[in-house]
Amino acid sequence: MSEHKRLHPISAVANFVKQLKDLIVPFVFLFVLNNRGEKTGFWDYMPVISMAAVLVFVLVTGIVKWLRFTYRVEEGELRIEYGLFVKKKRYIPIDRIQSLNFSEGILHRPFGLVKVKVETAGSSNPRESEAELTAILKEEAIELEGMIYREKKGNIVTDDLAGENTVTLKDEAPFFNLSSNDIWVLATTSGGVGVIISGVFVFLSQFNEFIPYEAVYDELAVFVKSGVFVVSVMAFLGLLVAWLLSIAWTFIIYGDFRIKIVDDHIVMTRGLLEKKQVTVPLNRVQGIRVVENPIRQLLGYCTVHIENAGGSVLEKDSTSIKLFPIVKKKRIQGLLNDLFPDYVIHDDFKRLPGRSLRRYVFRQAIWVVVPTAAVCFMYWPYGLWVGLLMIPFGILGYYQYRAGGWKIVDGQLSLQYRGVLKNTMHIKKSRIQSLDTHESWFQTRKDLGSLRTTIKSGETGYASPIRDLEKKDLQTIASWFSHSV
Amino acid sequence: MIGEPQKRISPKALKVWKIYGVIETLIVAAVAAGAITLTVMFEWPQWIITAAVAVLILFTYLFVFFIPTIKWKRWRYEVREQEIELQRGIFIVKRTLVPMVRVQHVDTVQGPILKKYRLATITISTAATVHEIPALDVEEADELRNSISQLARVAEDDV
Repeated sequence: MSEHKRLHPISAVANFVKQLKDLIVPFVFLFVLNNRGEKTGFWDYMPVISMAAVLVFVLVTGIVKWLRFTYRVEEGELRIEYGLFVKKKRYIPIDRIQSLNFSEGILHRPFGLVKVKVETAGSSNPRESEAELTAILKEEAIELEGMIYREKKGNIVTDDLAGENTVTLKDEAPFFNLSSNDIWVLATTSGGVGVIISGVFVFLSQFNEFIPYEAVYDELAVFVKSGVFVVSVMAFLGLLVAWLLSIAWTFIIYGDFRIKIVDDHIVMTRGLLEKKQVTVPLNRVQGIRVVENPIRQLLGYCTVHIENAGGSVLEKDSTSIKLFPIVKKKRIQGLLNDLFPDYVIHDDFKRLPGRSLRRYVFRQAIWVVVPTAAVCFMYWPYGLWVGLLMIPFGILGYYQYRAGGWKIVDGQLSLQYRGVLKNTMHIKKSRIQSLDTHESWFQTRKDLGSLRTTIKSGETGYASPIRDLEKKDLQTIASWFSHSV
Repeated sequence: MIGEPQKRISPKALKVWKIYGVIETLIVAAVAAGAITLTVMFEWPQWIITAAVAVLILFTYLFVFFIPTIKWKRWRYEVREQEIELQRGIFIVKRTLVPMVRVQHVDTVQGPILKKYRLATITISTAATVHEIPALDVEEADELRNSISQLARVAEDDV
């Protein structure tokens, strides 16, 4: 494939549509401004003419850009040449290519095309080091992938084998997939559920006021009259619609989610409308994080993220990848053991000492003290009721305390902590970028200290903090991490 | 990580931090002077003047004397063959361990005030974090930079 290849012509259209999207706001603005009064002279038509001119310009540049864009594989490099006025060449050594990520948008699917993103390890300038092929035929993309694979293996693998490999990529039963039940749980237990609960509360609070009333007819009369009720019902319905939309959205995004293992890569595909395929090399995984939000925790579900060292800034999801968007907590041990045999997934943590409980509860409750004081000052004595807010915050503090824990198994540190979401982080010692300990004066008095480990995730780091550990434990962790001592 | 790190930063750092403190204090003093002038001009309540003066005095004490001293006393570092250990903090003692294998590059930085006192700051970058040792003697900083980068090169790793 050393000849210069073009993208599919549809990419010119895609370019055009994309540019058009950016232009919508100024166009609408111009249109509204222009629609006032009679149109007489040339100047009144000026905005419309300029709009047309811009449109033509955008269309032409889209086509020219498409004409100028070529790609080829040559001498172990993926070579891309493009540029409208300035000819740019970008040569990416195939060794540096971490993975190709495919996605199929609505425009792509009727023509059997894919968009290919070339992921590199992420060099000093992440925006520069990667390339995107907006639309190429699926066969070509798979051929390209096979070619890269072969180059990387040093040409040992013959064509047939690579062919077989692509076949297995297509047909092998997935290692993990989401059933529609799972997607239901995923959709209903995301933030949206809070919305519905609050809606139900509004609804019930209305009924509470009605129940003491004697006749149903009277109630109905009050029903209609009470604007509050109508408003709250409207609000509730609005929220309900929003919630249903969010469920539909989840189905569109996570529909047909599946994970396959090809060599030492995880290949994830998802999406109903736009199909996305993301490839993550297993050796780039820096840590495994299990996240439970309170509702999912109750239901026994959790989300598993992998922190990925590569990935680009441009793609939001590529640094902290949701490996399993939703999964029964019982299953993760088995699943992760197959995927990452060197990680020890357990649920047996050394908890925080009892004396740090007070600090946790206090730390959360203190947020409410200041507003309470202010409100008390202004609305004495009713303002004191605001102080009741301390209770939920205190409870959150209690649960944060309960969640805190750590465990060292050989070369692996596992930390458990909670903000609102409960996180369980499993990290290998060799992946930790730095380890911080903090000790305030108050902590010193109680023989406590805080810990934070940072691993690389995307371009920056991901820090896992645990507060108020037993100081002895802190020292144990530090000397486990330390190379000397 | 049981005992404290061995090395201290240059005693001249204390001077430099005090100069920073003075500069910050001058800014606060300007604000306080403004507040006092306005109070006198528009006959605002007297307590504003008192408060402004009190804040200024407190600020001067904290930023010129108290904080630099504690900061200097607390700052310690140690560069070992396999790792770098830092300790710092005023009210909260922070200690950091950076494995040598994780170090990506080391820089020395020198601003005008640091330069005058022949000091330099070392920043140590890993793939995900940046750490700093402020105010070392220039020679020491250069030496340290070279040795860290030597040590880091020996232990090459993927990320």
